[in-house]
Amino acid sequence: MTVNPGLNTRVNPKKLRPYDEPPKRRRSLIPGAPDSAATGFLVAALLWLALATGIGLLAALMRFVDFEFSIFISVPFLRFDVDFNRSLVDAAFANALVFGWLSNAGFAAATFMAPRLTGRKLFAEPLVVLGFLAWNSATLGGIALLYVFDQGPSSVLGSFPWFVEGGMAAGALIVAGSFLATVAPVLRSAYVSIWFAVIALLSVAGFTGLNALIGLLDYVIGLPDLAVALGTLLIDRATYLLWLLPMALASLYYVIPRATGQPLESNGLALLAFVALLVTAPVAVLSVAVDPAIPFLVTSAGSAATMALLFPIAITVVNLVLSTRGRWTLLFGTGPVAFAAVSMAFLLAAGMLDAIGTLGSVRDFVGGTDWVQGSQAWSLLGAFTFAGLAFSEHAISRVLHRDWGANVLSAAQLWSLFAGSTLAGVALMGAGMAEGAFRARAADAETIAAGVLGYHLVAFVGIGLAAIGGLAALANIFLAYTSGRPVQRAAPAQPAAASAGGH
Amino acid sequence: MTVHTPIESRGSRIPPWALLLALVVAVTAGVYLVANLAGENPPLAIPGTTPSAPAGSAEPDPEVGQALINSATPACTACHGADLTGSGSFPSLHGVANGPVSENLQDLAAENPDNWAELWIAGEPGGPTDGIERFGMPAFADQFDANQIASMVAYLKTLP
Repeated sequence: MTVNPGLNTRVNPKKLRPYDEPPKRRRSLIPGAPDSAATGFLVAALLWLALATGIGLLAALMRFVDFEFSIFISVPFLRFDVDFNRSLVDAAFANALVFGWLSNAGFAAATFMAPRLTGRKLFAEPLVVLGFLAWNSATLGGIALLYVFDQGPSSVLGSFPWFVEGGMAAGALIVAGSFLATVAPVLRSAYVSIWFAVIALLSVAGFTGLNALIGLLDYVIGLPDLAVALGTLLIDRATYLLWLLPMALASLYYVIPRATGQPLESNGLALLAFVALLVTAPVAVLSVAVDPAIPFLVTSAGSAATMALLFPIAITVVNLVLSTRGRWTLLFGTGPVAFAAVSMAFLLAAGMLDAIGTLGSVRDFVGGTDWVQGSQAWSLLGAFTFAGLAFSEHAISRVLHRDWGANVLSAAQLWSLFAGSTLAGVALMGAGMAEGAFRARAADAETIAAGVLGYHLVAFVGIGLAAIGGLAALANIFLAYTSGRPVQRAAPAQPAAASAGGH
Repeated sequence: MTVHTPIESRGSRIPPWALLLALVVAVTAGVYLVANLAGENPPLAIPGTTPSAPAGSAEPDPEVGQALINSATPACTACHGADLTGSGSFPSLHGVANGPVSENLQDLAAENPDNWAELWIAGEPGGPTDGIERFGMPAFADQFDANQIASMVAYLKTLP
C-alpha cells in the first residue's frame, strides 16, 4: 500500500488500514443542491393540480346533482363529523387551485428563473426548501380545516384560520426574501421576468400576511363582519391581480424566448407592460369594494382600472407573438410555446370578461351567480394554468436532469385542459346569464334550478376534462423521472464544463 | 464560465402603436370614470351571514332591512336597480314613505294605510293582496317573517 504523501505525516498510516475507503458523502436532511427548491415546488404544483381538478370535479357534480354528504373520522376518544356541502367544496377547490397548484408553480418559476437569468446561485437554497415545506403543509392543513372551523364572513381565499395563513405567509416571505437577495445586485439591469416576479412574490407574502393579521385581530378583538368581508375580498382580488397575473406574465416572458431560441421582440414594450401593470392593478383591486360604506367613486376607479388592465395584457401578447416570428410551427406542437399561446389567448379573453364584469349594470344582472365562477375558470384554469404548464413543460427535463420532451401526455394535458376550461367557463357564464334573466323575470328558485341544469351538466363535463389534463401532467413528471434517460446538465450559476446547455 | 444565459432583446424601442393604444385605453377608462363619479353602492352580501331582525324584537331595524333587501332571492336590486331607483318597467322604491309608488297599490294603501307595504311584500295567499296584479313581483312571505319584512319596509322608508 502506498500512502498519499500529501497526508499529514503525523498520522499513523496503519491506523488508516481498515478505514482507507473514501469517506461516505453525508446527505443533508434539507436538500440544498441547486434547483432543489424549484424541483420541490414543481412536483408539488403538479400534485396539487391533479388534486384541485379532482375536487373541482366534485364541486361541479354538486352543482349538477344537488346533494350533500358527510363522513366521519374516528380516532381514539375523538370523532370528527365532516359535512361536504357545495360552498365548502367550492372553497376547497378555489384554495387548492390558487394556493396549491398556481402558487407552487409560481414559486417554482421564480426559483428556477432567478439563477439562470442573473448568473447567481439562489440565496439560502435550504431555507427556501423549508419555505416550500411551510407553504405546502399550511395549505394542506388549511383546506382540511375548512371542514372544521366556520368560514365566517371571510371571502373564499381568506377562509383559512389565521395561524394557517401565518404559516403560508412565512413560507412566501422566505421565498421572496431569497429571491430578492439573489437578484438585488443585478436588479437594475435584470430581465423583465425578474421585475414581474419581484412584484408577485412581495405581493403574495404581503397578502397572506394581511389575511393572517385580519384573522388574528378578528379572533382577539372581534372585528365587524363587514370589515372582515371587505378586507378579505380585497385581498382575494389582489391575489389574482398582483400575485397570479404578474407571475404568469413572468413565466411567459421567460418561456417563449427560451423555447423558441429567439430574442424577445422589444424590451421597451415589456417594461411598458410592467409599468402599466404596476399602475393599474393596485387600483383595479378596488373594483370589488361594493358597499355603501365605500364611496362610489372608489369603486368606479377600480372598474376603470380593470378596463385599463387590458393594456399591459394586450401589449404582452403582441410582444410575445412577435418574438415567435419565424418559429410559428412551434405553436401547433405540444411543447411550451403551444401552452404559452393558449395561456395568452385565455389572458386576453379573461381580461375582457373581467372588464365587462366590473360594469355596474353587468354586476347587477349576474352578481352572485355562476358567471363569476365561469369568468374565474377562464383566468385560473385557462390563462394562469397554461402559463404554469408552459413553464412546467420547459423546466421538467432541466430540473430532473432527464432527456424528456413533448409527448403524448403533453398533448393530453394541452387538449383536455383547453377543452375542459373552455367548456366549463362558457357553461358557468351561460348559467350565470340564464340565472340573471330568470331573476329579472322574478322566477322562483325551482324554475331557476331547472333552467341552469343543462349548463351545469356541460360545466361538469368541462371540469372532468380538466381533471384528465391534471392527471396527465402528474403522469408526465412521474414518467420523466422514472423513464427519462439521465443527462448531465450544468447547474445554474455553476461552472459549466459538462453543460448540455439549454437553460 | 457560468451558466448564465440572459435573454436578449431585438430592441428597446416602444413602438408608436403601443403609445396610441395606451392613449385609447386611458381615454376609455377616463370617460367611464367621469360618467360614474356619483352614485351609491349596493350592500355587500357578507358570506356566511343571514341577516335577520333581532330575536324577540318587535322594533323594525332599517339597517337589518337594508341587508335583507340585498339577501332576498331574487334580490330586490335585480329588478328595481342597484340603488332601487327603478329599472325598465320596474318602479323606483324611493319615496315609499309617502305612499304607494305604483297605480295597482292605491286601493291596498287606502284600505291599509299603516302596513300596505308589508302586506304587498309578503303577498300571502288569502291575504288582502289577493287579486292585485303583481307584474312579476314575487311574494316574500315564505322567505322572511313579519319582523324582517317590517325591517325591510323601515329601510325603504328611509330612502328619499
